[in-house]
Amino acid sequence: MSNSFTHSLGIRHLVCGSCNGCEHEMNALTNPFYDITRDGWDVVASPRHADVISVTGPMSAAMREAAQRTLAAAPAPCLVLAVGDCAAGEGPWAGAPDAGRGAGIELGAAVVVRGCPPTPDAIRQGLREASLLIGRAAPRADPADEPLPEELPAR
Amino acid sequence: MYVEIPLERPDLFDDVLRACSTREPLGAYATNERLNYLFVDGGAVCNLCAARDGADAGESVARSVPLFDWHEREMRDTHGVELTGLPVSRALFVRDGVVPPALTAEGEGVTIIVVGPVHAGIIEPGRFTFSSGGETVVHLDGQLSYSRRGVEAFLEGCDAFAAAPQMARVCGACSVARSWAYARAIETLAGVACDERTEWARLIFAELERIYNHVFDLGSTAAGAGYGYGQTQGLAIKERVHRVCAAAGGHRFLFDAIVPGGVRIGALDAAGALRSDVAKLRSATAEFLDALFGARSVVGRFEGAGRVPRETARAFGAVGPARRASGAAIDMRAVLPYGAYRKLPPEVFSETAGDVAARCRIKRAEIGASFELIDRALAEFGTLPPPPPQRFAAARGRITTVTEGARGAESVSVECDARGHLTRVHIISASYRNWPLVLRAMEGNIVPDFPLVNKSFNLCYACADR
Ligand code: SF4
Repeated sequence: MSNSFTHSLGIRHLVCGSCNGCEHEMNALTNPFYDITRDGWDVVASPRHADVISVTGPMSAAMREAAQRTLAAAPAPCLVLAVGDCAAGEGPWAGAPDAGRGAGIELGAAVVVRGCPPTPDAIRQGLREASLLIGRAAPRADPADEPLPEELPAR
Repeated sequence: MYVEIPLERPDLFDDVLRACSTREPLGAYATNERLNYLFVDGGAVCNLCAARDGADAGESVARSVPLFDWHEREMRDTHGVELTGLPVSRALFVRDGVVPPALTAEGEGVTIIVVGPVHAGIIEPGRFTFSSGGETVVHLDGQLSYSRRGVEAFLEGCDAFAAAPQMARVCGACSVARSWAYARAIETLAGVACDERTEWARLIFAELERIYNHVFDLGSTAAGAGYGYGQTQGLAIKERVHRVCAAAGGHRFLFDAIVPGGVRIGALDAAGALRSDVAKLRSATAEFLDALFGARSVVGRFEGAGRVPRETARAFGAVGPARRASGAAIDMRAVLPYGAYRKLPPEVFSETAGDVAARCRIKRAEIGASFELIDRALAEFGTLPPPPPQRFAAARGRITTVTEGARGAESVSVECDARGHLTRVHIISASYRNWPLVLRAMEGNIVPDFPLVNKSFNLCYACADR
C-alpha cells in the first residue's frame, strides 16, 4: 500500500508579497509542456492535503499571520519550498518597509529555488529535491534531460 | 505631454469636479507638499495640483465621482490628507495586523461568505466577502493590500536608473507596460529621445505582453465556465508566448527588456528567427481562439454574466478592455500616443454589452491586432539589433507618464531631485482602477460565477497593493 504512494506529492501554494511572476511560473507547471501530474505531483486546494508548501515573495506584513496559520494547518511531514529570489530573502524588495526577510527564510524553507522568477524547470528540480527529502521516490526523469517538444523556441 | 495646472487649494476641488465632466480622470496622489489630481486632456496628461498648506481640509471628490474613492483614502492613509465627506471611511490597507472590516448587506435571508486571503489555486491573496441572498450576490466586498511591500516609500531616495529593475518587478504581469512608462518618465525629464529601432523593439515587447495576458485571461475565463480545452490550450499558447519573449527580449516575462535610455542589450538580435516564431505562434493562437469562440455552450455562459453598464464603467473609472467592452473606445496608445504608436496607431475596439462575452471578444480582437502590430513593427525594424541603451544624467522634475498595458492605463508619477534621485514615485495601475468595478460586476450574479466574472477581468493584486 505505502509503496503505491511513493511518487505522490501534494503542493499547496502560498503567496506572500510576490509580484506574481513566480505564480505565473508555478502555474506553468500545470501547462501541457511541464504537466507535473505525470510525476505524481499535484497542486492541492488545502494545506490539509499538502506535503509541500511552496512560498513566494518577501513576506508582506499583511500576509504573515495567514501564512503561519496555513503552515500550521498542514499535516506532518510537510516541508516548505521557497520559490524565487524574493522568498529567498534577496529579491528586489528586500528591505522595503512592509516586506520581511523572505517568505522562505521566515517559514524555514528546506529547499530554495533561486531565480526571478525561477523557470518552470528549476521549480521542478526544487520539487524533486523536496520529494526526496520527504522520503518519496524522485520522479523517473530529470527535467533537464528532457527534449523540448517540436517547433518551440528554446526554454 | 505633461502639463501642470497649479491652483489655490480652495479652488482645487471645484476645478477637479468640473474637470471630471469634460476630461478623462486618471486618479490622484499626494506628496508631503502637494495634492495632485491627474486627467487626460487633449493628448496630454494634465495635473490639477495645489500646495498643502498645513491643515488639509478640503472636500472629497469621491463623494461625487466614485472612481476617486480608493485614491483619496490612500492619500489619507499614506500622507495624512484629511478630506471631508469621504464616502467610505475605513482604511484602504491592512496595517499592523488590523484588517479593515468588510462592508456587508443586512437583511432576512442574507448569507455572508468569506474567502481568502489564501485562495485554493495559484493566485494572489485577497479577501472577498460575499453577501448573498440564496445564490444571488447582493454585494461583494474586496479587501486587497495583502501583497503590499511598501514599494513607493522604498524607492524614495533611490537613484533613478538603479530603480529600473525594481519598477520592472512591482508586478510581473504588467512589467513591460510599467517599465516603458517609467523609462519615458526619466527620458522625458532629461529631454532624451530614443532611436527608431529601440522604439520598434519596445512596441514589440509591449504587444507580446498583451498577447500572453489576453490569452491567459481567455483560457482562465474558459476555465471559469468549466471548459478544460480552453484552459489547457490557453496555457499551452501562453507558454509558447513566454518562450518567444525569452528569445526576443531575454526574459520569459520581459523583465528589464525596457530600461531608461533603451532596451536590454542583446534584445532582438535575431529578428529573422523571431519573425518565423511569431508567425507560427500567430496561427496556433488563431486556431485556439476559433475553437474557443466556436464552443457555443461556453460562449453562452459568457453572455449576460458580469454585466457592467457604460455609466458604471465611467463612474468607477474602468480602463482597458473592461472599459472598451462597456461602450467607450479609450486606449492610451491612441489617446496619448507614445513611442512607435505615433507611427503605427493601434486599432481600438469597443463593444456595448459590457458582459463577460464582450470583454472576451475585445481581447480576442486585440490579440489579432497585437500580432498585426508586431508583424508591421518587425518589417520596419529590419535586421540590425537596437543600439545599447543611451547613457545620460537623470534630470530634476516632476512628470506622470501613461502606457496602455494589457489591463488598461498604467500610470507612473515620478519626482526626481537635482542629483537624479527619486523623491516620490506613485503607481496607478490598471488593476487598481478596475478592482472596484469587478466587485460591482458581481452584483446580481450567482456566487459560482465569480471565477468566470473575475477572470474576465483577471486583474493583478501586486500592482494594486504595491
Ligand atoms: S522573485 Fe522575482 S518574479 Fe518572484 S516574486 Fe520576487 S520579483 Fe517577482
